[in-house]
Amino acid sequence: MRTHSRLTAWGLLSPWVIAFGVFGVFPIAFSLLASFTDYSPLRGSEWNWVGLAHYQRALADRDLWNALRNTGIFVVGTIPFTTAAALGLALAVQPAFRGRTLFRVGFFLPSVVSVVVLSLVFKGLYASNGSLNAALGAVGLPTPAWLQDPATALPAIMAMDVWAACGYYMLIFLAGLESIPEELHDAAKLDGAGAWTRFTHITLPLLRPTLLFVVVVNTIRSLQVFAEVFVMTRGGPLGSTTTVVFHLYEQAFGRFELGYASAIAWLLFALSMGLAWLQMRVIAEREEGGR
Amino acid sequence: MSRRGGAFALLLLLAVMCGCGGSGERREVVFWQFWPLEVIQPIVDRFEAEHPGIEVRVEQLTWDSGKDKITAAVAAGRPPDLCELGSTYMPRFLEAGALSDWSAGVADLRDSLRGWDMCRIGEALYGLPWVLGTRALFYDKTLFARAGLDSSRGPETWDEVRTAAARIQRLGGGVHGYGVSLNDRQKLFKKFMPYAWGNGGEVLSPGLDSSRFGSPQNIEALEFYLSLRKVGTTGLQDELDKEFKEGRLGMQISGAWLLKQIPREAPGLRYGVALVPRPAADRGEHASFAGGEVLVSFKGSARKEDALRLARFLVRPDNALALAMSAQSVQPANVGADTAAFYREHPGQAMLIRQFEHARFTPNHPRWDEMEEAIEEEIEQALYDRKTAAQAIADAHARVTALLGR
Repeated sequence: MRTHSRLTAWGLLSPWVIAFGVFGVFPIAFSLLASFTDYSPLRGSEWNWVGLAHYQRALADRDLWNALRNTGIFVVGTIPFTTAAALGLALAVQPAFRGRTLFRVGFFLPSVVSVVVLSLVFKGLYASNGSLNAALGAVGLPTPAWLQDPATALPAIMAMDVWAACGYYMLIFLAGLESIPEELHDAAKLDGAGAWTRFTHITLPLLRPTLLFVVVVNTIRSLQVFAEVFVMTRGGPLGSTTTVVFHLYEQAFGRFELGYASAIAWLLFALSMGLAWLQMRVIAEREEGGR
Repeated sequence: MSRRGGAFALLLLLAVMCGCGGSGERREVVFWQFWPLEVIQPIVDRFEAEHPGIEVRVEQLTWDSGKDKITAAVAAGRPPDLCELGSTYMPRFLEAGALSDWSAGVADLRDSLRGWDMCRIGEALYGLPWVLGTRALFYDKTLFARAGLDSSRGPETWDEVRTAAARIQRLGGGVHGYGVSLNDRQKLFKKFMPYAWGNGGEVLSPGLDSSRFGSPQNIEALEFYLSLRKVGTTGLQDELDKEFKEGRLGMQISGAWLLKQIPREAPGLRYGVALVPRPAADRGEHASFAGGEVLVSFKGSARKEDALRLARFLVRPDNALALAMSAQSVQPANVGADTAAFYREHPGQAMLIRQFEHARFTPNHPRWDEMEEAIEEEIEQALYDRKTAAQAIADAHARVTALLGR
């Protein structure tokens, strides 16, 4: 009887299990295997073991270190702003007021638009003769060629990312805010606590799990930034916007070195795991300390 | 009984399916290519009319993702029967041994087509040159006239370019003399190298075994290219093309796509097309970059013979011309294509065919794309004033040499 119900369970799960196996487990296992070989898609079955050679090569690859540096700047330079902006927006649109839904939808809207479309729009916006420069020029400000200057190209992409991503995380913060019982605020008000005190002593501590989720998920996503770079700058100028995944893509589909590209992907995976673990440790420990 | 009924139903179903197939004998040839269907389909329709036994399934690829898709199909062992490849894709596919050897099937076409360098290893041929593309100098006749220059012809030497650009630049009001390309991958090379080749510069030795990039000729060409920044503007190809169409750019090196866009987007623009200027009237050559599209079959393709049949049909002078006339952004690879009436009526297009006679194909070295990237990165360093021309050329030379050694 038990085996029977277990079979039924597997049967019901099978569509997902099969899809996950074919499109999830298999490619992941394949890429791990490929990272130890000189596999090239054009040669197909002819491949040789190269051991850890690709991993050694990655550690000595100056372009990869440059890409890692750019990705690091991207992560460190966007996440605090995205998180703060998302929390700010969530606090602004949480209380009931007329037109609240309009604002919520408006802020969330960029998240439903494809990154490629957003990137194309921003590419036009940032062009040396684009609308941003037209506006800046009209008020007498300097009009740099945003995406052609190595100093401004990456910050320009980062600014777009903050704008595009904060609506999504606003939604997650909103859900977190809704779960904080109103009584806590009422009780604090009776004790004479002001808005700021209530924010730092009630809202923030109770929002910590949400904050953890937002930071971890956004870090993982930001480490993989690719489409914006692919559309807007192709890694230039002077390699100033080449990110790890863009570098990986160039190795895989520009040079057909899928083995090496897979090794980079696994190194990035290890880095993401390490960072996520660190973030959880830091934020979870604080939680214990607070009690 | 029920089992027998099932078998009967199956038979009936099969019969119906065969019936639906109509002339069920037609062989399907899968053809992947980059042209819009309205351009290619009429030509394919004519092929099907001439070959009733063959049905062609045309699929359109995009230049952004086409190479990825082809690569994935080859890796999966299910490549198309016939495929259009850009000349820049060829070295990798040739090196990997993924292409079908057509030497015997195309030998008779050797004298009637140009561009075999795109698909050759030694004497073996792995494709058919279909259409060609090159770069030439586009100049704005209105701006030339406003600056007091002779607008009936384009500048022919480097000095003439610099002088003309300086005078146009002085017109002011957002008008620029010359458009210098910046960090455009796979574009910058094609804008700079015409001057280097014209000055006698090279990238590799004829045997493809040593770098010749570090030559004084290349340094001189880069110094000339850098000097154009002072009498012009810098930008991406799209931006420069836009400025040109808006009548705000005196000169730039660009390609046939402008000939197609201008009548549609800037019908009032008075412009000319000229050969790429050479170093001096008594020295150098009007050289340019040569690229093109090649028709190939893969080792894993199912219908190689039908694919070759279709390819031979597509490169026939009338069909290649039909494509070129419809697309307006390429020229046929056929020898003598410029004698067609269409090119007498379209002087800009005809000039590109003339320019092609002085154009260079990039070498079919397996690591060519990395070499081109290294050269572009170093030229970029010079364009951003991080390196002198001599330093950038020397560093590119060293990187190309290193790639040859691997």
